[in-house]
Amino acid sequence: MSPTRILGIGSPSGDDQAGWLTIDALLAGGVHAGGEVVIEKLDRPGANLITLLDGAAWVILIDAMQSHEAIGRIQRFGAADWPAYRQGLSSHGFGVLDALALARELGSLPRRLDLYGIEIGPVSPGKPAGSEIQAAAQQLARQIAADLLRRPDDI
Amino acid sequence: MTEQMTEQKRTVAIHVPVLTRVEGEGALDLRIDNGEITELRLRIFEPPRYFEKFLEGRHYTEIPDMVARICGICPVAYQVTAAQALEQLFGVELDPWARDMRRVFYCGEWIQSHSLHIHLLAAPDFFGCNSAIELARIAPDEVRRGLRIQALGNELMELFGARSVHPVGIRVGGFHGAPSLLKISAIRDQLRAALPEAEALIRWAASIAVPQDDQEFISVAMQHPTDYAIETGAIGVSDGLRIEADAFDAYFTERHEPHSTALFSTYRQQPYLVGPLARLNLNHALLPERIKALLVEIGLVLPSRNLFHSLVARAVEILLALHEALRLLDGYRLPDSPSVPVTPRAGVATGCTEAPRGLLWHRYEMDDTGCVVNARIVPPTSQNQGRIEEDLRLSLLAFGLDHPDDALRLHCEQVIRNYDPCISCATHFLRLNVERT
Repeated sequence: MSPTRILGIGSPSGDDQAGWLTIDALLAGGVHAGGEVVIEKLDRPGANLITLLDGAAWVILIDAMQSHEAIGRIQRFGAADWPAYRQGLSSHGFGVLDALALARELGSLPRRLDLYGIEIGPVSPGKPAGSEIQAAAQQLARQIAADLLRRPDDI
Repeated sequence: MTEQMTEQKRTVAIHVPVLTRVEGEGALDLRIDNGEITELRLRIFEPPRYFEKFLEGRHYTEIPDMVARICGICPVAYQVTAAQALEQLFGVELDPWARDMRRVFYCGEWIQSHSLHIHLLAAPDFFGCNSAIELARIAPDEVRRGLRIQALGNELMELFGARSVHPVGIRVGGFHGAPSLLKISAIRDQLRAALPEAEALIRWAASIAVPQDDQEFISVAMQHPTDYAIETGAIGVSDGLRIEADAFDAYFTERHEPHSTALFSTYRQQPYLVGPLARLNLNHALLPERIKALLVEIGLVLPSRNLFHSLVARAVEILLALHEALRLLDGYRLPDSPSVPVTPRAGVATGCTEAPRGLLWHRYEMDDTGCVVNARIVPPTSQNQGRIEEDLRLSLLAFGLDHPDDALRLHCEQVIRNYDPCISCATHFLRLNVERT
């Protein structure tokens, strides 16, 4: 199997745990790291995300997003959609999209990149994620698990 | 952005809502009346974070992990400073292994933080780029190299802290664990391989055309008799004074300003500089000979009075940190125990270290059960805040106030980014308002 990385991005603030919860749901659902598959929960990795993409053939990236849609809505972004995703939640000016854009500029993107956003509500430090986020994480985990089973030969 | 002409002088009001590529959120108000700066305020409006209050009542064993949460870029600085202050109060003598590995751990943070600042935050300014993404089109190899160096710093931090963001390796009395010989051997190979990359980075940084500026300022940095101070030493000042950590309050004063949620610090009522250039100005004689030769090669004369040399100073400190990590990991052995026993006692603990952005000072009053009665933390950015305002004023005057507003704004941003301000630590962006009459 070629190198695959499944990365859930988040922070301990309420709904912003959406990426982490998806990883938890994946693991609970029987998808395990090992061999060429790396599964990680990341806390706002900034530019470090680029090094995590290095050498990977397939990267699945899950992050929280706010776009005035219904809370818990799952959206998958293609590379052409990135600019719309730009207004991210990074407080330090270098968020996930910046890291991906820099990786693209440097020719470091994997052959396949699945970028998922889970719509969240207002972020509350220290609070658990809302029920809509928990449900969305479960749903997305099932979808990712199914994708992994349908892995194309060229990945 | 608006502009109007008066009979004598032009009247201009500039509103630049956001300064990017700094850590945190702030604003700059600049007013120019009749060709003179009449108002210049670095406004930090990020809400106070009350970290010092959170620490009250907490047991000493919790402190290193709590203070690591203050900053995602320099958590090691907060951990080491707190741990060492408490160890001194408790009369703890660290195993030499732990003392050395604290410095190696800290080197990892300098490497990652400096490389991040050079490549992602500061360098784009000098190439006419708005971001590192644009810079990557012009200098892809250099950006790749910077990311490799940054990643190596992170790896070094992960080695001792289990993770690079908010690491958890340090405890009062030493470390929670010791990396294996195998892991140390691997990282030493990586550090050695990075030496020529870091040397090339210094040459590249020195080749970047920066404004020529010449300002008189006070440099403050820790000094150690034999080492380039990182985690140990007394506070040194460019006027020749050396100050122990527990005498900080006798010389340094913090004050509130209405326009900022961060405190302003002064040394004997004057603004002062902390950070890489201040350190290099005070401690360059203690650099390894190889680095001194490189400084001669690039023509960097120290002490420097040009804050735009901060970028190359960071590059120099990356190479220094690589050298130091390699030196201290040479002959690495596994300790009998990564920590020594600790018995708390009541009293006041003070300590300081050199965070990537400059001097970081902590004070803890502890009770006899080992819990915090009160805490005070003075981060580098609040110490630099007054100096940034002073620098902006001088630098703008040297640059000339008749430049177009966009040029003025860019110059202000460059000046501010020289200090790599971590506004999050100090209390997040800069909004710039310029008014001219």
